[in-house]
Amino acid sequence: MAIQSRIQSLLRNLFSKRAVERDLEDEVRAYVELTTDEKIAAGYSPADARRRALAEVGGSERLKGTVRESRAGSGLESLLQDLRFGVRQMVKSPGFCTTVIVTLSLSIGITAAVFSVLYAMLVRPLPYQDPERIVALDTRSASGGSQQASYPEYVDWRQMSHSFSALAGYDAGGSVTLESGTGAVSLDAVQGTDNLFDVFGVQPMLGRTFLPGEDQPGKNDVVVLGYGVWMHQFGSSAAVVGQTAKLDGRTYTVIGVMPEGFRFPINQLNAVYVPMHLTSNQKDNRGNHWMRTVGRLKPGVAYREAQADLAAVFVNLGRTDAFNAGRTIEIVDLTTYVVGSTSGALRLLLYAVLALLAIGCVNVAGLMLARGVKREREMALRSAVGASRGRILRQILTEALLFAVFGALGGVSLGYGLLKAMRMLLILSLSRGSEVSLNLPVLFTALLVSTLVTLVAALIPAMRLSGTAPTLALKSGGSAGTTRGQHRLRTGFVVTQVALALALVVVSGLLMQLLGSLRSTDLGFSADNILTTEISLPHGRYEGHDLLTSFYDPLMEKIGALPGVKAVGIIQMLPIQDWGWNSEHIHIVGTPPLRNPRTVAAETRFVSPGYYKVFQDGLVSGRYLDPGLDKSTTRMAAVVNEAFVKQFIPAGHDAVGMEIGDDANKDTMPDTDNPRILIVGVVKNMRQSLYRAPMPEMDFLVTQIPKQASMMAIGRMHLIVRTSVEPESLIGNVQRVFREVDPMLPFEAPQTMQAVIADVLTLERLENWLFGTFAAMAVLLAVVGLYGLISHEVELSTRDIGVRLALGATRGIILRGIYRRVGWMLVGGVFIGLLVTAGAQRYINSVVAVHVGKDGGLIIALAVGMILVGLLAAALPARRASSVQPMVALREE
Amino acid sequence: MAAKQTNLLQGTLDLLILRSLLPGELHGLGVSRRVEQITKGTFQVKPGSLFPALHRMEEAGWLTSFWGESENNRKAKYYRLTKAGQKRLGTETEEWQKIAMAMTNALEAS
Repeated sequence: MAIQSRIQSLLRNLFSKRAVERDLEDEVRAYVELTTDEKIAAGYSPADARRRALAEVGGSERLKGTVRESRAGSGLESLLQDLRFGVRQMVKSPGFCTTVIVTLSLSIGITAAVFSVLYAMLVRPLPYQDPERIVALDTRSASGGSQQASYPEYVDWRQMSHSFSALAGYDAGGSVTLESGTGAVSLDAVQGTDNLFDVFGVQPMLGRTFLPGEDQPGKNDVVVLGYGVWMHQFGSSAAVVGQTAKLDGRTYTVIGVMPEGFRFPINQLNAVYVPMHLTSNQKDNRGNHWMRTVGRLKPGVAYREAQADLAAVFVNLGRTDAFNAGRTIEIVDLTTYVVGSTSGALRLLLYAVLALLAIGCVNVAGLMLARGVKREREMALRSAVGASRGRILRQILTEALLFAVFGALGGVSLGYGLLKAMRMLLILSLSRGSEVSLNLPVLFTALLVSTLVTLVAALIPAMRLSGTAPTLALKSGGSAGTTRGQHRLRTGFVVTQVALALALVVVSGLLMQLLGSLRSTDLGFSADNILTTEISLPHGRYEGHDLLTSFYDPLMEKIGALPGVKAVGIIQMLPIQDWGWNSEHIHIVGTPPLRNPRTVAAETRFVSPGYYKVFQDGLVSGRYLDPGLDKSTTRMAAVVNEAFVKQFIPAGHDAVGMEIGDDANKDTMPDTDNPRILIVGVVKNMRQSLYRAPMPEMDFLVTQIPKQASMMAIGRMHLIVRTSVEPESLIGNVQRVFREVDPMLPFEAPQTMQAVIADVLTLERLENWLFGTFAAMAVLLAVVGLYGLISHEVELSTRDIGVRLALGATRGIILRGIYRRVGWMLVGGVFIGLLVTAGAQRYINSVVAVHVGKDGGLIIALAVGMILVGLLAAALPARRASSVQPMVALREE
Repeated sequence: MAAKQTNLLQGTLDLLILRSLLPGELHGLGVSRRVEQITKGTFQVKPGSLFPALHRMEEAGWLTSFWGESENNRKAKYYRLTKAGQKRLGTETEEWQKIAMAMTNALEAS
């Protein structure tokens, strides 16, 4: 019964509002009449009676207001009313409205994007079974540098350790050519020991993974396909198990397909997995460190135990294996290992984005507060006209929510767009870059935070105001006292913003400086006009052949004949792009042996003579490598660089003519009875890495590599071409030549040397981009906040200024007063900002080194710049203040 | 303090209004005077509380209203109990007596 009646009332209230209102109006008026009559009857004069009656009612508008509120449907109605009003308010002040929404969108969007990156890298679990039980073995050489395992070592570790349910070795980063009817395509190849898949515990989607012993020759021509490869190259066919696939010219049988989402290593998107195919050198040479290891801990075994177990194994082995004595190992859980050296940068990124979010929220809060103050009179009017406190608060809340909603929409689109734009850069620079996506927990958090801030900032002034007696607020001049506390708060806001902005600016400035110095590092060669491409000769077709006569020589000859080509060469590892192919046991014949011969390594390169012409590497003494003189039948010759001379050749001796005894590469020497290398020349240093000084290097001529080692040494090379024209213009011709020499070889897109260097700097470029954006935004927001604050203060104290001017103050004094105030704010903010930067030095150092001495100049310059920008921002409102006309100001209310 | 008082009184106010309308219909002012009368002056219902209460109870279906003429031939809005309103008066009275007895016992106990 009651419900039926309520529904009827609800409908009536919503749809016959006017009738209902009129009725109420009449009722109230009738009540007043009756009360007046009563009072007249009691003896009051008619006028008096009426006045008392009205007093008793207490304001008919207010009365009607309370009745309206208690009506059914009043909630909904007032909400709609609030929304309509809110939208109208927003349209009326587009400047304010845009600023708030843009600030919210930027803060939410950037925060969401960065949180997504952090989530993918740090939070999201790896797509394996119980990933916290999987560890990577971080093995190091005696000199402390990172060094992988050799196969015989691995076999010993597997036998001698007790902590693993599976300890596997693998090699990734290589590529393999899949030949099908339509042509050849290059895929990522991961080769692993027979228990590789046992480490991950992920069941195949089709078929099976490796069986024990399947990594032995004769059984190892099987392949497990990754999901991506299965989809793109095998048409997602369910009958693929049992089919054959031609990889690098060799026939493999497909035994299984992995499910979607499984990727190992985590950044290999198009991988196929094959059991180990070892060369005899890889199988038997304890000194050939090429293999990575990964393992799953036995259930119940703690990290500490496994670490101690392996450390003991290493010590035991060191006793019998003098070659590898002194090696150390550290167990790292795979998740941490995958994040690797980027973890410091990511943590700094987190703090930076939180700072940005804080600045954004503070800005919005400040703007809302200012607006609240401006609307004091409006609130008072509402109160007088009959709105209850709750009603007013509800209305302000609704308006704030409107802002929050629009800001949220803007933020989500911005975040999504940002991630899309950055996707390529992320995939290149971060190991889990391909997993970055705008996910819900992240978005939700950012939205929640900014919405809360908006609402709180809007409500604080409203709470105070809705309780104020209307008459007070309606009095002309406004309430100066109440805003003083607000101004202190807003000043605090601006100071905070300036401080955080400065911290971000400093980091950004240092990063830019770093990138600039990396880019302008003296490489030892000119990177212009060099074109390079990667060559990977398939084992199946080239094994046992003379790689030079069957491929490289005809290739280089033809390319050399192309118009626009000045020089052509090959090298197995490009400078700057990569390094670490080195030998440790260097000793120079006739010199005292180094105390610890394994502590310094010399980079090893296999080159064709054209290499020196391509990079224009100058000769210091002796001669270049020469195929006429250095043949497969003569002594092994090497050309070394200045760093090698500095490191290994005693002062006063001429390197040319001295001999190197290289025990590690005995098997690659043509004459194993005389494994000594003759130094025939010294060349100028060329940097192998952008981040390190030039390392000692020995270059060998490709013609001198013995046949049995040639696949390992020069099966994978980089072609390098110096051009007299724009390098890209030759790509078409180069591709044609490749097809002429070997049509079945997949052609890797060539890159200019400049592009190669830029790729190396991808992570730095990403960091620069991000922090640069943060810093710019932070400064912008701080400036907006400062401008808003000063504007507002000037507006409110217009009358005071008028009075002062009228009493004799000059405009100069007014201006100076304002600038002094702004100046103190800025100085305070900058000071705190410098403290924050100093405090965060540890975190900043993980991204870019901060040296107070070296970078002090830059930091101070940035701080001064910040102050100047702030002063500039305050200039406009300051000028407005000083150009106040006293008479106008005094008259103003 | 003021808010608390009103809340406490809302249930009481409803009951008083229902009771005062039991003998017959009254206009707003009449209800106010009747309540004052039957509580011997203890409760004076101001229009600020009366009007919202009347309208609320009408929407709930316990009262109906109609326009009529007052003693002085003035137009006024009259309120009358519905059947549901009578029933509610009954149950609320019972409820109230229960509470009153419980309170009395509690306050008299040592």
